[in-house]
Amino acid sequence: MNEPVYLDNAATTPLDPTVLESMLPHLGGRRGNPSSLHALGGAASDAVEEARVQVAALIGAPAEEVLFTSGGTESDAIAVLGLARSSPPEKRHVVVSCVEHAAVREDAKRLEREGFGVSWVGVDGDGLIDPDEFAAALRPDTALAAVIWANNEVGTVEPVRELAELCLERGIPFHTDAVQAVGRVPIDVSEVPVSTLALSGHKLYGPQGVGALYVRGGLAPEPVVYGGGQENGLRSGTQNVAGIAGLGKAAELAREEMEDRIAHERSLRDRILVGVEGIPDVTLNGPRGRRLANNVHLTVSGVEAEGLVLFLDALGYAVGSGSACSSGGHKASPVLLAMGRPERDAFSVVRITVGKDNTAEEVDGFLESFGAAVAQLRELSPLYAG
Amino acid sequence: MPDRYTPQVIDHLVRPRNAGEIADPSGRGESGHEACGDVASFTVGISDNVLEEVRYRAYGCAACVAAGSALSELVEGQHIVEAARISKADIQEALGGPLPLGKEHALTLALDALHKAFEDHWNRTAGEMLLNGDRTGGGGGKSVVAAMSGGVDSAVTALLLEEAGYDVATVTFRLHDGEKGSRSCCSPDTVLFARDTAHRMGLPHFTLNLKELFNKRVMRDFVGSYQEGRTPNPCVACNAHVKFHASAFLADELGYHHVATGHYARVEEGPTLGRPADESKDQTYVLWPVPQELLARTVFPLGDYTKTEVRAIAEERGLAVAYTPESQDICFIPDGNYRRFVRKTVAAEPGDVVDREGQVLGRHGGVVDFTVGQRRGIGVSAPTPLYVTEVRPSSGQVVVGRKRDLEVSEVTVRDLNLFLDPGDAACVQVRYNSKPVSCTVEEASDGAWIARLDEPVMGVAPGQSAVFYTADGSRVVGGGVVARGAA
Repeated sequence: MNEPVYLDNAATTPLDPTVLESMLPHLGGRRGNPSSLHALGGAASDAVEEARVQVAALIGAPAEEVLFTSGGTESDAIAVLGLARSSPPEKRHVVVSCVEHAAVREDAKRLEREGFGVSWVGVDGDGLIDPDEFAAALRPDTALAAVIWANNEVGTVEPVRELAELCLERGIPFHTDAVQAVGRVPIDVSEVPVSTLALSGHKLYGPQGVGALYVRGGLAPEPVVYGGGQENGLRSGTQNVAGIAGLGKAAELAREEMEDRIAHERSLRDRILVGVEGIPDVTLNGPRGRRLANNVHLTVSGVEAEGLVLFLDALGYAVGSGSACSSGGHKASPVLLAMGRPERDAFSVVRITVGKDNTAEEVDGFLESFGAAVAQLRELSPLYAG
Repeated sequence: MPDRYTPQVIDHLVRPRNAGEIADPSGRGESGHEACGDVASFTVGISDNVLEEVRYRAYGCAACVAAGSALSELVEGQHIVEAARISKADIQEALGGPLPLGKEHALTLALDALHKAFEDHWNRTAGEMLLNGDRTGGGGGKSVVAAMSGGVDSAVTALLLEEAGYDVATVTFRLHDGEKGSRSCCSPDTVLFARDTAHRMGLPHFTLNLKELFNKRVMRDFVGSYQEGRTPNPCVACNAHVKFHASAFLADELGYHHVATGHYARVEEGPTLGRPADESKDQTYVLWPVPQELLARTVFPLGDYTKTEVRAIAEERGLAVAYTPESQDICFIPDGNYRRFVRKTVAAEPGDVVDREGQVLGRHGGVVDFTVGQRRGIGVSAPTPLYVTEVRPSSGQVVVGRKRDLEVSEVTVRDLNLFLDPGDAACVQVRYNSKPVSCTVEEASDGAWIARLDEPVMGVAPGQSAVFYTADGSRVVGGGVVARGAA
């Protein structure tokens, strides 16, 4: 079978060959523990610190304010759970948006069970947060606010600078999950006053199983994992040296290539948007303007997402679905429900996310297969009247 | 944990077999609901009980599409009995093995849509029959349609028939909307459970929609009886007009000779009804209205077994139904509150509670709340307990008296169904689970029977059944409906 055309870059990206090369020295042969005093330990430590500089440079942060984790989910946990739990006892309230990734959403629910009050801030039909509504949710006893930088499903880019400034004015720590945003939109934490920012290696053409958390100087979140005190005591455990080296290289490439990548991905995305215009009853979710350059999120009326995704897979195209059916009941995406979509629409969504290595030819091939798959599944569907 | 589809599933998804629908089908069925995210529909073209054409459509996950596609291939060209035997396990096998965890529902959905198309086919074939319940024909051969509720009795019935060498087709009736899961696509459903039970035994399964017939013959009669001051027995009404007739209809359509149910009774020479081996489970009292022509082709395999033995058989053969609880009371009133059920349907006028001399003792909320023999809820205090001795709907009066006022030694019985010579009637049973009393029978000029009891009995309620037995009590001579009792 031919390699499938990969159009699910929001799920994970291919590992860049240059990144792989940067990892290999740490995977074969002798290796040291970055905490060891001997030369092998020193070499490992150097690799980690080099990567720290590379990652910091991508987001405009001082290197010492970046710590490495096992990925976006762990970064979110340290920030959300850690900042809330380390806040003064009279501050037992957090503010989160309704469109957070599960990593933050579930942390907030955990805090709820620990006795925190949680205010869930809604979004408009495009998935955008209204800063006034957000500001109204902030209270004197708010310990933390968290809003995703760019949504992982519909690709909406939130007004993070404005939200972070509202928190800064009130002295409230502000966390952002920037896992989808980093490398796809310019980010500079010296300009945008976020307190913490989570990012992940494998969304950046880096390795899976590694991520980073930016923690602004002066903040001391309660750790989630205790042990040897690595990563400034915030993430104990021997570092994933190869993964961190790969993340560093991926960050460096992202910084160098970001402008070109965005332009390339935007042209492919727009090619898809134009291409699907000819198919009836296909609608774009999320805004046309404030969205990630690589994201197309569609509701395909009369077609169930899983069937469509697997159909396209059989034709050689890998795309994402918005929901999974299980035991006869679908779980609708909370993001789409927050955007006011009816539950049944949420069963009919597909997410197509292009990447730096996709080509216009691939997109054209995809469009042809997509049209054929949708037509056949609709033909089969007793619910689609045409 | 791997959680992937087999290549067969993907193949059916991309190249669905028999997709589409028949313009003028013999039957059409749909299962699932858009709100649940899955819908499957089947149209079938049936001629001489052969599925000449099958088409399906589906909206849903890959498993749903593939299950429908594979099922359509399995049943196309088959005799309807063989098609009705195809189980979820058969579909799964055709799809190359188990579906991923949480997707098994797709098999149920596809199968249910096909079976609803069969159900629709029978509905169209039956026409007025399923409305009026008149059916007395008969086919040939050692073949039987066995009624299947999914409970232990009906499951063991089908099993025993199969083991006795019958060709068995099972059937479940949709009788009313109060059945478990009948309004929701995602919850357990009586019909689905019965189908699974039949399929696990390798037996074909059909569903007949008898809601209209059941409503007309059983539920309306139930409510009307209370309005008229009678105490109805809905199981008797169902046996008189619904269950046996519908089974016989399906048997005739399939060319099968016998019908069978899981009742505890025997068919004796005559033919007539005979007491079963397990006298504590005896159901001859509710079976008396089965027409003799239908009884002639009926088999009651459980008549030779005790309930304990039946449970043991189920357990020994590994039937999943072995431990299901006994069904209770009236099937269409699951909460048992039949007063509320009646009051939902009819308006109840308040009236007087009077004694036997006509003196007013108090007021009541409606005659529908009372039956003869009732002690509770009369709302009148008295030095000795009061019982309802008569309900007079025309005047709205409820007559009460002492316990001994309930004693009856003469019973007028109408609407008779006779199996044997009237002269054989030596005793009569007037209540469920009570002993028959010796009596002499006299035929009135209007055809009613007047039974003079050798000893008085308590609480003979109009509307209940009076069933006459032979002198040794072993066989039913005939039965009828109590019109009135007298001291």
